[in-house]
Amino acid sequence: MSAASPTAGITPYAPRIRARRGLSVGFMVIALLAITASMLMLGALIVEILVDGAARLFTDGSATAQEVRGATLIDLPTPENMNWLAWAMPVSILLPFLGLRVVRSLIADIPALAERAIGFATTLPVAVFVHILYVRFESAYYIEYAKAIGVDGASGNIFQLFAEASGFQFVRLIVAGLILPLGIIAAGWFWSNRLRRPSLLLPAIATAAWVVYLFLDPFFLSSYPSRLPAQAGLFSAITGTLYMMVITAAVAFPLGVGAAIYLEEYARRNWFSRMIQVNISNLAGVPSIIYGLLGLQVFVRVLEFERSVLAGACTMALLVMPIIIVSAQEALRTVPPSMREAAYAVGATRWQVVRFHVLPYAFGGMLTGNILAMSRAIGETAPLIAIGALTFIAFLADSPTDDFTVMPIQVFNWVTRPQSGFHEIAASGIIVLMLVLLVMNAAAIIMRQRTRTDW
Amino acid sequence: MPRNFFTLMRSSAPVGTAAPASNGALLEPPPSMKRDAADGVGVHLDPNLEAVRHEFTEEVETALQLRNVSAFYGSFQAIDKMTMPIPRNRVTALIGPSGCGKSTLLRCFNRMNDLIPGARIEGEIEFEGRNLIDPNVDAVEVRRRIGMVFQKPNPFPKSIYENVAFGARINGYSGDMDRLVEDALRRAALWDEVKDELDKSGLALSGGQQQRLCIARAIAVQPEIILMDEPASALDPVATLKIEDLMRELAEEYTIVVVTHNMQQAGRVSDYTAFLLAGEERVGRLVEFGPTQDIFTNPLDQRTEDYITGRYG
Repeated sequence: MSAASPTAGITPYAPRIRARRGLSVGFMVIALLAITASMLMLGALIVEILVDGAARLFTDGSATAQEVRGATLIDLPTPENMNWLAWAMPVSILLPFLGLRVVRSLIADIPALAERAIGFATTLPVAVFVHILYVRFESAYYIEYAKAIGVDGASGNIFQLFAEASGFQFVRLIVAGLILPLGIIAAGWFWSNRLRRPSLLLPAIATAAWVVYLFLDPFFLSSYPSRLPAQAGLFSAITGTLYMMVITAAVAFPLGVGAAIYLEEYARRNWFSRMIQVNISNLAGVPSIIYGLLGLQVFVRVLEFERSVLAGACTMALLVMPIIIVSAQEALRTVPPSMREAAYAVGATRWQVVRFHVLPYAFGGMLTGNILAMSRAIGETAPLIAIGALTFIAFLADSPTDDFTVMPIQVFNWVTRPQSGFHEIAASGIIVLMLVLLVMNAAAIIMRQRTRTDW
Repeated sequence: MPRNFFTLMRSSAPVGTAAPASNGALLEPPPSMKRDAADGVGVHLDPNLEAVRHEFTEEVETALQLRNVSAFYGSFQAIDKMTMPIPRNRVTALIGPSGCGKSTLLRCFNRMNDLIPGARIEGEIEFEGRNLIDPNVDAVEVRRRIGMVFQKPNPFPKSIYENVAFGARINGYSGDMDRLVEDALRRAALWDEVKDELDKSGLALSGGQQQRLCIARAIAVQPEIILMDEPASALDPVATLKIEDLMRELAEEYTIVVVTHNMQQAGRVSDYTAFLLAGEERVGRLVEFGPTQDIFTNPLDQRTEDYITGRYG
C-alpha cells in the first residue's frame, strides 16, 4: 500500500522528475503568493472572530464590531442575530479539517505534531498583523468611497458598494480570480509531496475563505430573497439545495449501488442484462427536461408530492441514477477477480463475498461517483422548473413536503430581472455555485486518491 | 488383499483399467500409444485409450475419486474423461505442459469453475460418498472443506489477522479466534515473522510471506483437502523452498493437490504424480498416473518420458 511505503511520492521515472524541476521555481513563487494571501485571510478570520465575539460578549450584543474597532469598517451585516452565521460557516469548514489533521498526527507521531503546532503558532501573529494593516488601509478607502457615492454605511452592506462601483469590483475580481486558480495549482504542487501536504491545508482553506470574503458579503449567504438587490441573499436557495441533495443522495445512492451490484455480481450475461445495460447508458443521455416532465407527472401529480423538496429530489435521483450506476459498476470492476476467488475459496457465499470484500474495496470509487453525480444534480435547473420549484422562498423548508428553491433557479430568476443590481447578485450566486461544485469535485478527487488500493 | 489403488478403482469405477495388477509388476503400455508418441511433439491422443497407471506400493485411502471427469468452457472441451484417485494425506502433483487442463481440473475439485459463466463439468468426483459435481451439492460447503491457494498471492487488503480469521468467521466459527489465527499462522510457518504486527495489512508482506498467509488463510477454515495452483511460481527460490517444506509438513494432516510446471518441485514435494497432456485438438487427457518415484524414474509412456526429460520444451 502506498500509505506504508516510505518511497511514495518519489517517482522512479527520470524524465518526469526533470520536467517537474523545471516548473518548480514558478510553482514556488505561486505557492509563496498563495501563502501570503492565505496569511492575510487567516488574520482576518482570527481578528473578526476574536473582535466580533468579544464585542458581543462584553457589550451584550448592542455594539457591533466596527464600534469596537473605532467605527472604521462599514461592511458588517446589519441584522445582528444573523451575524454569527457568516463566521460559523468558514470556521465549521475549517474545524473538521483541522481536527482530522490533529487526530491523524496524534496517531502518527507526536514530534511531527509539535513541529506543526509551532509552525502554525508562529504564523498566527504575522497573519494578524498583516490583516490589521490591510484593514486600516481598506477602511480609510471605504469611508472616502462611501461618502463619494453617498451610501449610508448603516443601511447598506459591502455588496452594495461593489454593485454600484463596477470599476472597484473589477480590480478585486482580477485579484481574487488570480489567487484562486494559483492557489489550486500551488495546492496541487504541495499535495504531490507527502511532506509538504500538512503545511498547506490550513493556508489553502484560508485562501478559499478569503476569496469568498472578497467577493461575497457574508450577509449574501445568510439572507432571504428580497425585492431589493442589496438585501437579497441566497440563504433559502442554499438550504434548499442542501436539503434536496441529501434526499437525492439518500434515494439514488442505495438504488444505484444496488443496481450496479446486481448487474456486476449477480446477473448472468444474457440478453436481459445486456438490455438493461444498454438502457442505462441511454438514460444517461436523455435530456434533463424529459426527467422534469416525468417527475411532474409521476411525483407531483400521480403520487401527489406537490411541488415539494421530495418531488424535486426524486426527480433528481432519477436523473443521476444512470451516472451512479455506471460509476459504481466501474468501481466494482476495479476489484480484481482474484479477491473474489480468494473469498470464495474459503467458503464464502456470493453475498458474503460482496458484503465483506467487493463492496468495501469498491466503496471509495462508488462515493466518488456519487459526489460527481451530485455535483451534476446541483447545477440542474430545467427539471426543477418543470416540476414547478419556486423562485421566491422567504422561509426554510421544515419538512420534505415543503416548497423549495435551489441555487441555479434563484440565479436564473435574478438574471431575468430588469434591474442591474440583480444581475450583479446573480453573478455572486454563480460564484457561490461554482465554489460548491469545486469543493465537491475536489473532495471526489481526494477521495479517489485516498481510497485507491495497489493490488 | 492389499487395498491399493487398483482394487479401489475396480470396485467403484465402471471404467476398466489397462491390466490387472496381479504380480505387482509395472504395466506395459499398449503398443499403439508408443507409436503415437514417437511422432513427436503435439501427438495425436487417441480418446479411446486408457491412461497408464502404475501400481501403488503402499496402502492409501482415497480422498477424491475422479470418474470420467470432463470439463467444458462453453463449446470448448478443456479436459476429457479423466479417471484417477487423489490419495488421502499425500501430496499429489498435476504436471503437464501449458493448456493441458491442469488448473481446470484443480478448479473442478472445489467447484471454482462454477463462477465462470459457461463452464460445466461432467462425470463424477466422489468425496466422502457424494458426487461433488452434483448441482444439489452446496458449492459453498465444498469450498469450505476443500481449500485453495492460488498462483498469485492474493491476500485481502485487510490486516493479517483479518485475512486469516475471515474464513472461520463467515463459517460461524465460535471458538477462540485468536488461538485459531495463531495456530493457522504457526502451521503456515509465518507466525514468528508476523506475530508482532498482526494489524499490518496483508499486502505489506513480501511475496513469499503473502503466499504463506494465503496458505494460513486456507488452513484456518480447517479443510480436508488443500488445492494449490502453482503456489510458488511467483516466488524466488528461497521462498519457494519454504513453501515446499510447508507442503511436506501439511501433508501429514491434509490431502494436498498441487499444480506445478516445475519438474524438480514435483519430484521433491509430491508422493503421486499425474501427467496430463493435450493433443492437437487441445483437449487435456490423463496420460500417466502413479507414485512420483515410478513416474520420474520409470515412465511407462514415451510422452511422459519426453516431458520429464525436457524434450517437450
